[in-house]
Order: sequence, then structure tokens, then C-alpha cells
Amino acid sequence: MPEIVLKHITKRFGKFVAVDDLNMVIDDRAFVTLLGPSGCGKTTTLRMIAGLETPTEGEITINGKVVYSSVEGIDVPSSKRDVGFLFQNYALWPHMTVYKNISFGLENLKWSKTDIDEKVKELLRMLKIEEFAGRYPAELSGGQQQRVAIARTLATGPKVLFMDEPLSNLDAKLRMEMRTELKRLHRETDSTFVYVTHDQLEAMTLSTKVCLMKNGLLQQYDPPLEVYRRPANTFVADFVGSPNINLVPCAGSHTDDGCVDLRCEGGLSLRFKPSSAFDFSDGANFILGLRPEHIEIGRADAMVEGQILSSLPSGMETIVIAGLSGLHLNSVMFGDLDFPVGSKIGIGFGSGIFNLFDAATTGNLCQGKILAVSGV
Amino acid sequence: MNAKTRINNLKSYVKKPYNIILLVLLVVLAYLTLLPLVTIFMDTFTVHASEVRMVKGSVKGDLTLYHWKKMFASGVTSQKTFYEPFANTMLVAFLSCLLAIIIGGFFAWVVTRTNIKYKGFISTVFVFPYIMPSWTLAMAWLNFFRNSRIGGAPGIFTVLTGIPTPDWFAYGMFPIIMVQGMHYAPFAYILIGGILRNMDANLEEAAQLLHASRFRIMTKITLPIVRPALLSTFLLVFSSTMSAFAVPAFLGTPVRFNVLTTQMYRTLNGMNPGYGYIMALVMIIIGVSILMLNQWVTGRRKAYTTITGKSSNISLVNLRRMRNPLSVLLIIILLLVAILPLVSFAVESFILAPGDYSLSNFTTEFWIGEGRPDIANSEPGILRNKSIYLGLWNSLRLSVLVSLIAGTVGILAGYSIAKRRGSHLATAVNNLTFFPYLMPSMAFGAIYLSMFAVRRGFIPALYGSFALLVIVGAVKYLPFASRSGINAMLQLSGEIEEAGTILGISWWKRMIRIIIPIQKTTFISGYLLPFISCMRELSLFILLVSPSTRILTTLLFQYNEKGWNQYANAINLLIVVIVVGFNLLVNKVTGASIDKGIGGNA
Repeated sequence: MPEIVLKHITKRFGKFVAVDDLNMVIDDRAFVTLLGPSGCGKTTTLRMIAGLETPTEGEITINGKVVYSSVEGIDVPSSKRDVGFLFQNYALWPHMTVYKNISFGLENLKWSKTDIDEKVKELLRMLKIEEFAGRYPAELSGGQQQRVAIARTLATGPKVLFMDEPLSNLDAKLRMEMRTELKRLHRETDSTFVYVTHDQLEAMTLSTKVCLMKNGLLQQYDPPLEVYRRPANTFVADFVGSPNINLVPCAGSHTDDGCVDLRCEGGLSLRFKPSSAFDFSDGANFILGLRPEHIEIGRADAMVEGQILSSLPSGMETIVIAGLSGLHLNSVMFGDLDFPVGSKIGIGFGSGIFNLFDAATTGNLCQGKILAVSGV
Repeated sequence: MNAKTRINNLKSYVKKPYNIILLVLLVVLAYLTLLPLVTIFMDTFTVHASEVRMVKGSVKGDLTLYHWKKMFASGVTSQKTFYEPFANTMLVAFLSCLLAIIIGGFFAWVVTRTNIKYKGFISTVFVFPYIMPSWTLAMAWLNFFRNSRIGGAPGIFTVLTGIPTPDWFAYGMFPIIMVQGMHYAPFAYILIGGILRNMDANLEEAAQLLHASRFRIMTKITLPIVRPALLSTFLLVFSSTMSAFAVPAFLGTPVRFNVLTTQMYRTLNGMNPGYGYIMALVMIIIGVSILMLNQWVTGRRKAYTTITGKSSNISLVNLRRMRNPLSVLLIIILLLVAILPLVSFAVESFILAPGDYSLSNFTTEFWIGEGRPDIANSEPGILRNKSIYLGLWNSLRLSVLVSLIAGTVGILAGYSIAKRRGSHLATAVNNLTFFPYLMPSMAFGAIYLSMFAVRRGFIPALYGSFALLVIVGAVKYLPFASRSGINAMLQLSGEIEEAGTILGISWWKRMIRIIIPIQKTTFISGYLLPFISCMRELSLFILLVSPSTRILTTLLFQYNEKGWNQYANAINLLIVVIVVGFNLLVNKVTGASIDKGIGGNA
């Protein structure tokens, strides 16, 4: 079964470490996104799996077959790895027509002319670009070029498909369309997709698993909603989700009933009930993560009074910045609401599950509920 | 439109500096590039003073078809004066161009696509022959392979091995092709290397992932994509080799192997200027056609812009066991072509009796001697020689003036053309600034000879004056400067200047404080290229110098013609040292290099 295994993969460019000791297993038929800010090593990782870049150390296995091993000196060329690659700029050959672009890979596999013709026509139909078969890439729009690139990559039927920010050159509307298309292709082709993006929304909506990287280091490798609900550290918490999560520094102390009393700068104090016990000493520094949708504004079950600092209604939702004991908190309220700026209003934390991070290591300590709040 | 609107429109038109610049350039350049074409055309139908005796019953200034008839339709005469040199020119140009592309293309591929060692060194040294004057390699060839039958004393090769070189090897077509091929190889290297370096590596990687072999990638992807650029390289090199003068003059003249340029020099300096003007016209027509063909090749639908600048992570061909031997081999070739010639100049300039390389025959006579009556009519050594110092002074003065004029006009032209891009006026000026590039140097010199030999309106006869050299140099090298000026301006978004305009900053201040500082490097190269080109130029000036305006290169040519080999070698060394030294200095100061970083930083 097609399964990609990366063991201790490291890539150095001179002194610069692009990817640092990466371990990862990509399951058969998964749709994995490599997510992270620019320069985090995600493209390098993808290129190393595809064989376009040689790792400095480590081992890569595709389908049970070792394609790279620094110890054994194995380096299978990319043409023999049976993988597809979709480039960010499409890399369509400018001197070939759409038809020739798609048939090139099949010619390399020495298919017969009739088989090639049949396959190319099938792909042209599948991607709805039949009428462009005789055109040159320069005569197509970005979205059409994108489709040709996909058709070309799918032609040889690779079991693994790599994509390097394939949607970044498209406009917003086309991007939405192509996302749906990619999900459909993933289902129809039964292939494993590995996808690089810096757009967290794309990663969330498309993938079965997200691999989040920063400065060449793996941060978290989990299903998207798990990453959203239980971010491994403050970096992940901050990177995923829009508007951004509120990360509030605070100091904790034990209470009698097994809760944690969290005191924030500015005087706000919260009673936090962890879902599982964890060790800490009184006065330890934490960071509390508050997702905007869990900060409820103007509800009947409000716990504390705050002030509206700004309100940005967009119809479906309203993004609010609320002032609470010197803190500025991002909040999202669903529905066509608006709040007068400057008004006092009740704020509640009743429904959410919150993450508590260690202030020193930024790692996730535990999840829990907020029972009570008192401001100044 | 009423009168007031018109006046206001006119006012706002002339208030913009770029409109004024374009209008002035249009008039001046039309006068300096188009009008001379008319005068040279007329000259091919005119009886010149020296031709009165040949054209029966004519007086000076008469109209005649004599030159055209003699040139194209007079049996053996036409054969000898035109058809033979023409055929030689085409053959030599074609073959040396092919050689240049093969050598340059091979080096470019090796440096950009394999893991060869010493890339930086190879790239830097490989362009040396191109920086040096074109006759450098020709002189070196003679230093090594002269034979006693034609060249007097035998060359170093014969002295060392005892094997006399045959005439075909030492002189004529073969060495001309070899030397020009090597001289223009760096030019091909720069162009092809630039293409390979900028070609989107993803295009090749995409093919590799689709199971294409290296050979198939090369033949089906890489070559077809670079083909238009390759063809364009071929045409550019061809137009250079076709108009080359110095190399055929050094290597061909001793065995009467003539090409159009050497023939043109002979006739314009001799009794038949009419012939020379026709040849100049023919060369201009060929040159213009080649470059128009080039425009057409690069402008077609199939000429792609493959430049993305994202090929830094291309996978290099692993040469494996070949890596070390090939690296060393390339270094040796480079030393032979780029360094050894210089050594030979030094050696030759210290030798008393040519062909004798024993230690006792070494002398400093030709550098610091007072001059001996038995050698070269008591000509003093070049470091004590007044005419050399005059030539050096003239060369430097000329190069500085030419580069200042061409560079500054180039910046202004680039600025104005970029500002009014798309308008008829800008297109016309753009074409005019580029026009001199199409013309072979010697033909360009010839048209100025024709134009300024006599008084034209308020401009006196400039022939023999230093000013004429400055004008011809500045116009000829304007294309280099205006190209870099236009490129610099196109890279700069218009908003940068507009931000200054809105703040009410004057045009002068915008240019000096905003635009020029930002694009410093590009503009400096607009000054640098004319300087270096001018310093080593021979064929452009050779028809126009007079005894008082002689420059180093024409002096060298004269010494060589007289057979004063040691002086010629010494002067050549002087020129090479100045040109290469200046080039290195500017590289250091500005960080801009001629090889455009093809070798990378490795």
C-alpha cells in the first residue's frame, strides 16, 4: 500500500538548516498538507520526497521501497519514484500545445498512439478543457493553465501526487472553485495527495491531516480539526484560525476544589477547571488561549462586564474587539449583529473548551472550562 | 479646440522634461545617424578627387555609376574587389560564429548545469578574451605560430619544437576562424549562460517526474525552449564577426586573404573611396537585415519568456568520476586562451631579435630604450616615446568623454523613453538610439568620413579633428548606455517618481536624489561599457584619426603594419592592462560584472 515514511530527514543549505530531523508517516489515500509561514521548509520537504532535492541526512520510503537513504547511499531519481508533481507556476511547456503537454508523460512510458489519445481525451473531458487541446499555454488563462497542469500530472496515473501551492496564483473566486475540484479529484483518483500551502484556511478545508512546520521543525501533525481544537503550542494556536486566537499571559495558583485560579495582567482573574490534572507550582506562568468564537458577547449568561472597542459586521458574522480589564479580546459573533462602540456589555466564556499553554516552553498543558470570571 | 486650449496643451507638453529630451534627441540623432546614410549613398555615385583619372572625362564631384559597375559587373575586377572578399566574409563569419556558440554554449552548460569545480574562477576568466581587444588573440597566434616564410622570424611554437607551421595554419582563413571563435565565445557564453540560468528549472523537473530520460529532456524540453534565444545569439555573434576588422587585418593581410572590412580599409585609405563606400553600404544593409531578422525571431509567438529567476535549486548533473579531470581540463584551456597570450606579449616585447628566445637576447630596449638607429628608425622604447604618450592621452581622453556623453545621454534617453513608452515619439527615439548598434563599426566610421569630410551647413569640416572621434564614439556606443538606461527605468515603478512629484520636488532633484541613486549600478554599467569599448576600439576610429589625434589602438596597428613587432606587443600589453584593470576595478566598486554572475558564488 502506498505509504510514505520520512525518518530523521534533515536538509542543510550550507549553514542554514531548512528541515531539521523530520519524522512523519503519510498514510495511503491521505490528503496531507504541509503548512507553515514562508521559509519554514515545507516546499523543501515536498521536493525531497519527490526526489527533486537531495536530503542531507535521513531515509525516505515510498510504498515500502526505500527511495532515499543517506546511510545506504540510495537515491532513486524522481523519474523512477512514480510520483506526480504540480508546480506553483504550473511549469507548462510553452512550446507544446495543451494536448502535447498532457501526452508527453505517456509517450515516455511508450504507450501506443491510440491509448494515449484515449487517455488524453478522457483527461481533457474530466477537467473540462476539451476546447483548448490545440492551444499553447500562453493562450490560456491562469485557471485553464492550472487545469492543464493537473491533467498532465494525472495522465500517468501516479499513486502519489505532490502539489506546491498550486492555487496561490489564482484569484479568490477561482481558488474556491479549484479547492472543491481538488477534493473531488482526491476522491476519484484514489491517490495520496501531499499539498504545500501557507494558507491555513486551505489546509483546514482540504486535508485529512495537517503537518505544521516552523523554521524546519515539525510543530504538529494531526487532523485539521484536532489541530484547531488542541494546538500543540502557542505557535500552532496562533497560526491556525481567523480571526486570531487570543493568547493571554497569566499566572496560576491552586484552588481547593482542583481548579486553577488564573490572574492576568490588568487584574482579570479566571477560574479554570482542567479536564485532566497536571502539575504546577503556585505562581507559575501560563498562556491562556481563547478562541474568538468562545468569547460570547451580549448573552444572558454573561459572566463579566466589558466594553465594545470596535465592531466589524459583515452580515454573516461580526468581528468584535472587546475591552476587558485592560485586555483587548478578539471575538466573533454569528448573525447580522452590530454593537455600538463604547457601550458596556456582558461577556461570557460558558460554552468553550480552552487550552492552557506553558509560558516558558509554549507547549500545550491541558484543556479545560472557564467557570467564573471577575474583572476590576 | 480653441486657441487657448491649444496653447495650454502645448505649455503642459513642454513643461514635462521628458518631452523636451525626446524632441532634442530626435533631431540630433536623426542628424547623426540618418543623414550620414544619405551622404554615404550619394558618395557611391560621386567622383572623388583621387578617382578623377580613372573615370574618364570627369571632374571631382560629378555623378557617376562607375563605382557600382566596377564593383558588381566587371568580371575579374568585381571578383577580386567584391565577390571574393564578400564570400570570405560570410564563410569566416559563419564558421567563427558556429565555433563561438559551440565553445561558449558548452562552457555555459557546464557552469550552469553540472557540479563542475571552480565555477566562479571559470566564469570570471572565461570572459577575459572578450574584455581584451579582439586582436589580442590574433597577435598571440602570430607570436606562437608565425612562420619564417611570411612572418620573418619564426614563432615560439616553431622555435620550441622545430616544426615549421604551414601557411594555412599560421595565416588566413583557419586562424581567423579560430581566433574569432575564441574571442566571441564569451559573448555566446554570457547570452546562453543567462538563458540557462534564468530558464525555469520546473520545466525540466516536470519532464523528469513524467519519466523522461535526460536525453529526452534535453531534446524535447530544454533545446526547443532555448532555441529562439539560441538563434538570436547566433545572429548577434554573426553580425559581430562579420564586421570584425582587426583579426582579419592581422592574420589575413600577410597572405592577401581579404574580407569586406580589410578591403574597405584599403580602398577608403587608397585610391577608390567610392568602392569603400559601396562596401560600407552593403555591410550596413546586411547588418540591419540580420538584426531585423533577430527582432522577428525573438518577437514571435514561439519565443517565450522563460525567465522566472526561480531556478536556484535546479538539480545539477553529477559528473562523478569526470568531475576532477574535466575541471582541471577547463582550467588549463582557460589559462591557454586567457593568460598565455598576455605572457607571450610580455616575452615578445623584451626580445631583441625576433625568433630568438635565448636569455642573452632579452632586452628592455623596446620599453625604456632611447632608440637605436639600426632598429625601427630610432623609435624610442614605449615608456619614453612621445607619440605613445600622446596616443595614451588621446585614448583616455576620448574614452572618458565618450563614456560621459554616451552614458549621460543614455540615462536621459532611457528615462524619457520609459516615461513615454508606447508613444510614436518614444518609439522613434528608441529606434534611433539603437540604430548605430546595427551598423558595423568600420562602416559607421566610413559614413562619418563621408559626412564630415566637408563643411555641412554651420558645422565645419571635422575630418582629422578630435571632436569627430568623440562624436562617432558617443553615437556608436549610445545603444549600450540607452539599453541600460531603459532597463533601469523599466525596473523602477513610476510611482517612485510620482511620490516625489506630489511632494513638489523639482525634476532635477528627482533625478539626482531619487532615480539615479536607486539604479546606480545599472547606470554605472551604462558608463562603463562605452569606456571599455572605446579604449579597445580600432575599426571605428581607424579611418578617422589624423597624426595628432592618434590613439593607442591605431598606433598599435601602425606599428604592426610596419613590422615593429616588439613595440606592437608592448602597446598591446599596455591596452590590455588598462582595460582589464579598469574592468576589475569597476567590478569591485559596483559589484556589477560582465559575466552577470553566471558562475554563481560557488
